[in-house]
Amino acid sequence: MVDLQGPWTPLLGRLTLQEIPFDSPIVFGAFAFAATLAVIIIGLLTYYRGWGILWRDWLTSVDHKRIGIMYLIVGGVLLFRGFIDAVMMRTQQVMAAGPASPGYLGAEHGYLPPYHYDQVYGSHGTIMLIFAATPILAGFMNYLLPLQIGARDMAFPYLNSVALWMTAVGAGLVMLSLFVGDFSQAGWVGLTPLTEMSYSPDVGVDYWAWALEIGSIGTTLGAVNIIATIIKMRAPGMTWFRLPLFTWTALTTNVIGLTAFPVLGVALGLLLLDRYIGTHFFTTGFGGNFMLYTDLFWIWGHPEVYFIILPAWGMMSEIIPTFSEKPLFGYTVMVAATLSIGCISWTVWLHHFFTMGAGPIVNVFYSISTMLVSIPTGVKVFNWAFTMFRGRLTFTTPMLWAVSAIFMQLIGGLTGMMLAIPAINYMTHNTVFVIAHFHCVAMVTIFASVAGITFWFPKATGFKLDEASGQLVFWLFMAGTFTVFTAMFGLGFDGMPRRLAYIPYASWRPLMIVEEFGILLYCGSIAAFIYQIVVSVRNRAHNLVDVDAWGTTRSLEWMTHSPVPAYNFAVIPHVNARDEWAWRRDNGLADMLPEHYEDIEVPLNTPVPMFLGIATAGFGFAMVWRIWWLAAVSLAAVFIIIIIRSFGGTTGTVIPADAVRRTEQASRRKRRQNADNVLGDGVMAFAVKPRA
Amino acid sequence: MSQFWLFHPRGPIAQAGFQSILVDVAAMMIIIGPTTLLLLWCIWRYRRSTSTAPYTPGWSHSLPVEIVSWGFPLAIVGFLSYYTYISTYAVDPFNPRLMAAGTSADADRAPIDVDVVSTDWQWLFIYPGRHIAASNELVVPVHTPVRFRLTSATVPNDLFIPQLVGEIDIMPGMLTKQALIANRPGTYEGIAADYSGPGFSWMQFKTHVVSRADFDRWVGTVAQSPLHLDQAAFDSFATPTINSSGKRIYFSDVDEGLFGRVIQNVMAGKAYPTPSLYTEKKASYQNGRRQPGSDAALSHSEPGMSN
Repeated sequence: MVDLQGPWTPLLGRLTLQEIPFDSPIVFGAFAFAATLAVIIIGLLTYYRGWGILWRDWLTSVDHKRIGIMYLIVGGVLLFRGFIDAVMMRTQQVMAAGPASPGYLGAEHGYLPPYHYDQVYGSHGTIMLIFAATPILAGFMNYLLPLQIGARDMAFPYLNSVALWMTAVGAGLVMLSLFVGDFSQAGWVGLTPLTEMSYSPDVGVDYWAWALEIGSIGTTLGAVNIIATIIKMRAPGMTWFRLPLFTWTALTTNVIGLTAFPVLGVALGLLLLDRYIGTHFFTTGFGGNFMLYTDLFWIWGHPEVYFIILPAWGMMSEIIPTFSEKPLFGYTVMVAATLSIGCISWTVWLHHFFTMGAGPIVNVFYSISTMLVSIPTGVKVFNWAFTMFRGRLTFTTPMLWAVSAIFMQLIGGLTGMMLAIPAINYMTHNTVFVIAHFHCVAMVTIFASVAGITFWFPKATGFKLDEASGQLVFWLFMAGTFTVFTAMFGLGFDGMPRRLAYIPYASWRPLMIVEEFGILLYCGSIAAFIYQIVVSVRNRAHNLVDVDAWGTTRSLEWMTHSPVPAYNFAVIPHVNARDEWAWRRDNGLADMLPEHYEDIEVPLNTPVPMFLGIATAGFGFAMVWRIWWLAAVSLAAVFIIIIIRSFGGTTGTVIPADAVRRTEQASRRKRRQNADNVLGDGVMAFAVKPRA
Repeated sequence: MSQFWLFHPRGPIAQAGFQSILVDVAAMMIIIGPTTLLLLWCIWRYRRSTSTAPYTPGWSHSLPVEIVSWGFPLAIVGFLSYYTYISTYAVDPFNPRLMAAGTSADADRAPIDVDVVSTDWQWLFIYPGRHIAASNELVVPVHTPVRFRLTSATVPNDLFIPQLVGEIDIMPGMLTKQALIANRPGTYEGIAADYSGPGFSWMQFKTHVVSRADFDRWVGTVAQSPLHLDQAAFDSFATPTINSSGKRIYFSDVDEGLFGRVIQNVMAGKAYPTPSLYTEKKASYQNGRRQPGSDAALSHSEPGMSN
């Protein structure tokens, strides 16, 4: 066992009352905000008698659509938290520029002491990549995949729920670290040996490592599920080369996820052994080698980058054809490009440490393998351009976001090709130039995700988001992005290192002020987004949609009702073409009704994944604070729950054919009532004539 | 205002880095420029409100277009692959031709060696053979090859002088190498580029490039410092210190084997642990900014030199 700084008791481990930072006004403010929000939510749930609905329809649900939406909510909440972190960082840097800058709240410069600032940037990166982007994309994949391939659910609905709860527990641990104890100071990458006990004696690194470890279990399980679903659950006629492109990118991304996340699990596991039982895998002395961690981390870390970008490209490849009123240009080539990017993603990790002093041959090898990625990526950009070529473009909000994502891709690609050249990398490595580069690339994912949310929102809810305020959100966000990252590239050419709590040169201040102004634009965009949601919900009666919300959609998910019923498709469709729905619409087959309905078997709700989540959360918390008895009890609970579940009886239930017919007919009646509304909006390409 | 140091290199290695930026951006603009124009043109030409634009709803495949869309990036990447090979060797500090390139008439001077140790959170520049060392200040003669050996007493860091030389990792228990030649006298900012803990933001150092005569005078000044650097003095120096006042210290009579011993000690498990003072509470920084007692032990020296 290792020596701990500070007290330890058998009952509470390292946990003492002093670990709750009552005396820090910033943390206390965050706590007050979170507590107020919690009280409001609990109050609303009680007032509207929502507890039963929450339990039955959400927490215990194994329906892939509800799980997908819950993933999106978890990701959205964490995205907000990560954004607040970004605001804090930018504000600290603009306040702490130059030796003459004043200090507040105990800091010598700015308002955050370095150790607090370091935790803020560490949590920003961890949250944005692992607990915002990853769950948001998992949410999209969960919601859309079964619909796009004509299935009723995922291959393993129960496993799907377990994966969600593991991700939520990881996210919960990160959030908890804000109020109880510290978070890691060593960046989202966990710079060894800074993460070792000598240099990070507190619980921050433990929070970070356990959150990632548990969250990565969720991602791995999710990957197993999605791969199995795509391989085994496709509707009749849905051959490989009829799969929508989003499904292809989801398949590629989850093959990456399945193969990469275990590496992260091992790397973190070895680090935790160092921290808990005093081994020397990554220490500087006693035969440890911290570069081994760096290798393992980036062997996961670089594929993870493509894990995040590929589904975004998939969504862009769905949205751009829809609003160009043309099929995707070069479908086969797009699939090939997607798969080749997936393969190359494994061969480039060393470019994250070009400066380690390796010889030129090593660096040149990884330089060229890195540049290879740009070939299929370039092909994708060309194909999106040629999809628009000779099309009929409608610039709705999803299209605006998707097309702008291409431009972010170009900037990210240009700067990526700069960083891929070692001679340039030496000058820009670990500077904010790198930060600006990968934020531009991450913006592709963010832009595509917002596009996706606006695009598929009517499918999930039955009404569209408000268009006018959506455009406002877009333009504010676009302006913010341009302002912040142009200035950041400029600071990169100054050689400004990343992760500075204090800016040593006052000459960097003007560009910091520009960045802060961009952050204000981002804040405006977030406010406009909240306004957009409120307006959309209030005016939803005017924005109701039919099956085909945009009138020019192409893939299978647009064949079923909006919102989608629990069974997805009353009768599993037979697929005859790539872009089946567009094919049916073009051939006048859009409103065909099945001859008869059959009983549909659906999985039964179960609270077991939630119980597993609670036990795992207990285990994670106990390990962070070294409360051994609680860790043992929680771990035992996990195994006991799994064993009890394995003896379980019925896991499925049947929706009778009669009920299906009633739902289908009711939905058609509703559609007739809405027909004027829908046609008036100009979004429906055909008139629905329900059969008697 | 920002000076954009990367655009104003003052030595052959930084110059090669800047040149690479120009070549790479130019090559990439050959492809990104037309692509951007194509995208903008498509957006403008085929927007729904222009009724005159042709519309071909079935057009989704074209062999010529696909040949171009693979061939064009392939050609650019092919060229850049060749270029990355050339440029990587151009900045390789072990490249024998490098230290002659880009220098003026008097560059055939014997190179000088500097051993660099990064601690939590200060720099130590040891001049082996001259038995002197300076903390948080690097002084080198102009037009003279400077060869670095680098290591860290605690956690990794990066040495970076934007106008003179790119980043090189400094690793505990390991040795890395770097080299530079400065072409013009002046003062350049040196930066710690890899995050190393709470004191990282205060880890800058000035790099003074001076004439040979000034350099010799400076060596003489440092050699008269009353502070000696043996293992005990080094351990005191390496105690975690946030150098927020930008303090410099000169050492004379430097123990010749010190640099090698720092590496050996780290490999044997020696660490200079971050005291909980810096970490245990989120707002306790001001009290723990400097180590008590360390100011008294190490006096503040003035450089006494002009550029």
